[in-house]
Amino acid sequence: MLTLFGMSVVIFVLMRLAPGDIVDILFAAAGYVNEADKKLIMKELGIDQPIWVQYVEWLKDVFTGDLGKSYRYDQPAWDVIRPLIPVTVELAVLATLISIVLGVPAGVISAVRQDTTLDYVLRVFSLAGLSMPAFWLGMVIILALVSWAGWIPPLTYVSPRENFKIHAVQFMLPALAVGYRSSALLMRITRSSVLEVMREDYIRTARAKGQGERKVIWRHAFKNAVLPVVTVIGIEFAFLIGGLVVTETVFNLPGVARFLVQAILWRDYPIVQNLVMFIAVIVILSNLVVDLLYGWLDPRVRFAD
Amino acid sequence: MATKPVTAADTGLELVRAPVARPARAGVWTTVVRFTRKKPLGAAGAMLMLVMVVAAVFADVLQTHDPIATDAAHTLAPPSDAHWLGSDHLGRDIYSRIVHGARISLVVGVLSTLLGSVLGGIVGLLSAYFGGKTDLITQRILDILQGLPLLVLALVMSAALGPAVHNVIIAISIPIIPRAARVIRASVLSIREMQYVEAARALGIGHLRIAFGHILPNTMGPFIVLGTAQLGSAVLVEATLSFLGLGVPEPYPSWGRMLSVSAAEYAQKAPWLVLFPGIAISLAVFGSNLLGDALRDTLDPRLRGS
Amino acid sequence: MAARFMLAALSVAAAVLAAAPVSGQAPKGQDKGGAAKPAAKPAAARTAPNVPSPAPHPNGKAGGVLVAMHREDLAQGFSIHETATIATVWPGMPCFNNLVIFDPFKPVESMDTVIPELAEKWSWQDNYRNLVLFLRKGVKWHDGQPFTAKDVKYTFDMVREAPDATGKLRINPRKDWYANVQSIEAPDPHTVIFHLKRPQPSLLMMLASGYSPVYPAHVNPVEFRTKCVGTGPFKLKEWRKGEFIEFEKNKDYWVPNRPHLDGIKYIIIQERGTRFAALQAGRLDISFPGEATKPIADQLKASGAKLSFTLVGTNVNDNLLMNIKKPPFDNVKVRRAISLAIDRRAYAKAVHQGGAVAGASMQPKPYGFWGLLEKDLNALPGYGKPADDKAQARKLLAEAGFSPSNPLRVEMGTRAIALYVDFASFVINELKQVGIEASLKQVETAQWHPMVTRREYQMGANLTGLGVDDPDGNFYENFACGSPRNYTDYCSEQVMQMIERQSQELDTAKRMAMVSEIQKRLEMEAARPIMGWRLDYFPMWPYVKNLVPHHNIYNYGRMQEVWLDK
Repeated sequence: MLTLFGMSVVIFVLMRLAPGDIVDILFAAAGYVNEADKKLIMKELGIDQPIWVQYVEWLKDVFTGDLGKSYRYDQPAWDVIRPLIPVTVELAVLATLISIVLGVPAGVISAVRQDTTLDYVLRVFSLAGLSMPAFWLGMVIILALVSWAGWIPPLTYVSPRENFKIHAVQFMLPALAVGYRSSALLMRITRSSVLEVMREDYIRTARAKGQGERKVIWRHAFKNAVLPVVTVIGIEFAFLIGGLVVTETVFNLPGVARFLVQAILWRDYPIVQNLVMFIAVIVILSNLVVDLLYGWLDPRVRFAD
Repeated sequence: MATKPVTAADTGLELVRAPVARPARAGVWTTVVRFTRKKPLGAAGAMLMLVMVVAAVFADVLQTHDPIATDAAHTLAPPSDAHWLGSDHLGRDIYSRIVHGARISLVVGVLSTLLGSVLGGIVGLLSAYFGGKTDLITQRILDILQGLPLLVLALVMSAALGPAVHNVIIAISIPIIPRAARVIRASVLSIREMQYVEAARALGIGHLRIAFGHILPNTMGPFIVLGTAQLGSAVLVEATLSFLGLGVPEPYPSWGRMLSVSAAEYAQKAPWLVLFPGIAISLAVFGSNLLGDALRDTLDPRLRGS
Repeated sequence: MAARFMLAALSVAAAVLAAAPVSGQAPKGQDKGGAAKPAAKPAAARTAPNVPSPAPHPNGKAGGVLVAMHREDLAQGFSIHETATIATVWPGMPCFNNLVIFDPFKPVESMDTVIPELAEKWSWQDNYRNLVLFLRKGVKWHDGQPFTAKDVKYTFDMVREAPDATGKLRINPRKDWYANVQSIEAPDPHTVIFHLKRPQPSLLMMLASGYSPVYPAHVNPVEFRTKCVGTGPFKLKEWRKGEFIEFEKNKDYWVPNRPHLDGIKYIIIQERGTRFAALQAGRLDISFPGEATKPIADQLKASGAKLSFTLVGTNVNDNLLMNIKKPPFDNVKVRRAISLAIDRRAYAKAVHQGGAVAGASMQPKPYGFWGLLEKDLNALPGYGKPADDKAQARKLLAEAGFSPSNPLRVEMGTRAIALYVDFASFVINELKQVGIEASLKQVETAQWHPMVTRREYQMGANLTGLGVDDPDGNFYENFACGSPRNYTDYCSEQVMQMIERQSQELDTAKRMAMVSEIQKRLEMEAARPIMGWRLDYFPMWPYVKNLVPHHNIYNYGRMQEVWLDK
């Protein structure tokens, strides 16, 4: 709670420190600046007050449930943001699933076949994914598609209810692009976690007892290696939202992340404030879920006094 | 109490001082060869980084054209003898721009990582060492900074500060601080309880001297690992910021900005505009990651899991 | 009611008769019926309901939705009067009507191509001092309310910020267009009279621009930032922020059998690379005005897609700002040297890959009406032989006291957008060759206008889009002493007088000569050196019929006549 409060202050102040404000941009769209009119508009929007006054006003509004009005669109901020959320969430979930499906098995295999060619290949492949800029990957994919297939992904967002096929196609590529990068991280964590566990005594005991290698891996090693991996998945989810910024831009998806960049460029304070707080809440929630999951999965914690 | 200064050597704590066994002083070359043999990937990473550094330092010598000189007669030229990696829509040589871009990306990446890691390290060290209320408050502040994805915070900071190289460096270093602090703090916490520290306290050695003299050297391992890991991130974030228009401004040729707007527009006619800068970024980050991994494996096997 | 109408009609008739001996020779295009009469009174234009000249593809088929391209989300919604950017005008035009409009089928815009829209006929009185417009009857706003003269008076009183105006615009970029309007009268529901302070034939041109729609008096202007209420051929269906803007056919449109289309959908694509890939792949039907530069057109042509291209001027020019109040730019020699140093033809090639043409302050021929002749252009600084011009530049700089040991150091400001940066990079390069050391200073878009308005710059890379190809619109806005958009603070008593004189000149040939003189003066004094005028290749799929791009991006977006042959 305190964290959220602190974050809100930080973002609030940072945005207002940024040179220029929405009025400058509106006038830029009009090609001139009229100081008198500018003052009037600033007064109307309330941004001519000192920062702390503005913050108090904002807090008051928040407690009465008023999340502010977008400066650019002249509509309640939440109304503008709400339709974007499902897009980003869906993309994040899909990407996380893909990253788990790709990353975890790769990590296990790599750990089990440590220092073999397969291990090296997998490590290089996943590291390449981590090294490529997300937006570049997207650009290259689209470039390849256009050049060789004369095809580009659908332009306007189609919800799954409208047309599931187009929707699937629309989300598949960006989810893959983002998922590939996240899978790299997961793969590395899984690998090191499994390696760590494999050295433990109880594994050696199991082996000595003559249990089949596969059984050893899955029954003992994996279950214990999974814990740090789960932690990372949780952290990854939050980190994903940041990475979605460029992906949504390149693939033209109307999501929260892309909108955030636009709002920052437009100095649309209410939108930026709300979006950043929203992201912060998601991060905190995902950390909470991870903590709970960790507690549930780790019998040592579960049965702790 | 003692009449003459007692050094660690006298108390025989020397042996306990370095928990990580170090090999006897080997020659530089032997170390390198040993490293290469044991960790070929890491060596490859080191090679890549070396190439980048050389390109960055000797950019003026390595270039074939002035990176900002326009040439109307040879716009969008494909790779050839005159333009090794082709030219962009203003006729500027891509190869020279990439070479200079190495300078920008490395400078921004290294400086921001250094700044963030050092500041974060100090914060983490002091916070863990003093513990108690200091620790608690610091943790809260770090929570706030870390609560946001790196890119988002860097975006807002970059917008707040304005387009300039030093601002980009600051903007990228800020999100690194809490991450560095976390790692160093964890490391320090584990060392703090060690006996030799308690002994040093018993000897009356001052807090700061203990902190910086004894504990810090032992966090070098995690610190270096953290540094190389963050370097890759920093380069990527710089590229992303430049791509979105919030990073390094003209005329510095930044790899990220070479990929924005103009490149996408002419991508079909001149794919080299998109391919080469992206490959450059990927190789730089790839190299730093490989090197970081290998260093981590070498310096502190215990940290493999983190 | 009838009595009032009779009175009005009589008074108008009287005024017309009274004006007959006073008015001089009517300029070309004004006098449709009375060309034979020597002291011709300016008669009314066409009386038929909004019939443009023969369409390239008559017999339009009804139906279909046109999928258009938009490059960014709307800044102020549909509030055309509060912005000065094509981004608002292009998707806004289908919703509105003007009093008069430029013939959609004629690419070159002039007084001759102005046709009726909401005003079914008009008449200049009293030697171009009063413009009487007779409005159409039976026109309804999209919400069902009737359109009357009250709406016209309301709109233009609001734009000119009349003291008794009932509406107020939050941002008003074109107040100066109507600076010469003394008052606006609405004697009856279907007549409007613009009373001018002095003769100004150009007023009609300004009313015909896409920038001059008529707003309803019963709707608060604030609402236009989120929705649109007009009388135009299309009604707003949905605006999904950041994604698209969708219009549907206005079934009660006052032109019978129009529009042909069932609707228009403007898809917002912020990624430059994706825009034309989408057009190529057939997901979009038409381009966005001014966006299809030559390299893009070349790329599209090479891709094999069977698009049709129309090369048009855009009435948008790249120009160089120099802060005339700050030394050394107050020295005309220095300014001219800078202008000489920049090879305009190389500029068009380097920065626009040939998709631009050199020209002075009015759009050059054949795209614009008032462009200078080739021989006049070649005599201006920067248009001659580059080597000679650069040598002369060096000489002038030396005379002004600069030398290799004491070079002129300047800072060139530019917006952080690719095109401006390219512009600035090229200029810096050219200046280097005459010994001027210029450095680039990138400024965020939000900072640009405030910085320029406060004159906190030395040199700047600027872009000016002119809503109308008319000297009045251009000169008053950009070169008049004290005009808010005269960013360079250029002020010449003599040139001001020349501008005033041409504004009142009724004879087109005489006016043309005056305007040429002004253009030459402006370039010689390097008031705001023009780098080049942009061209647009406007690609679209051949099944889109009757969309004829004009040599001005702001005035052909109505979409009333467009139909799809598929």
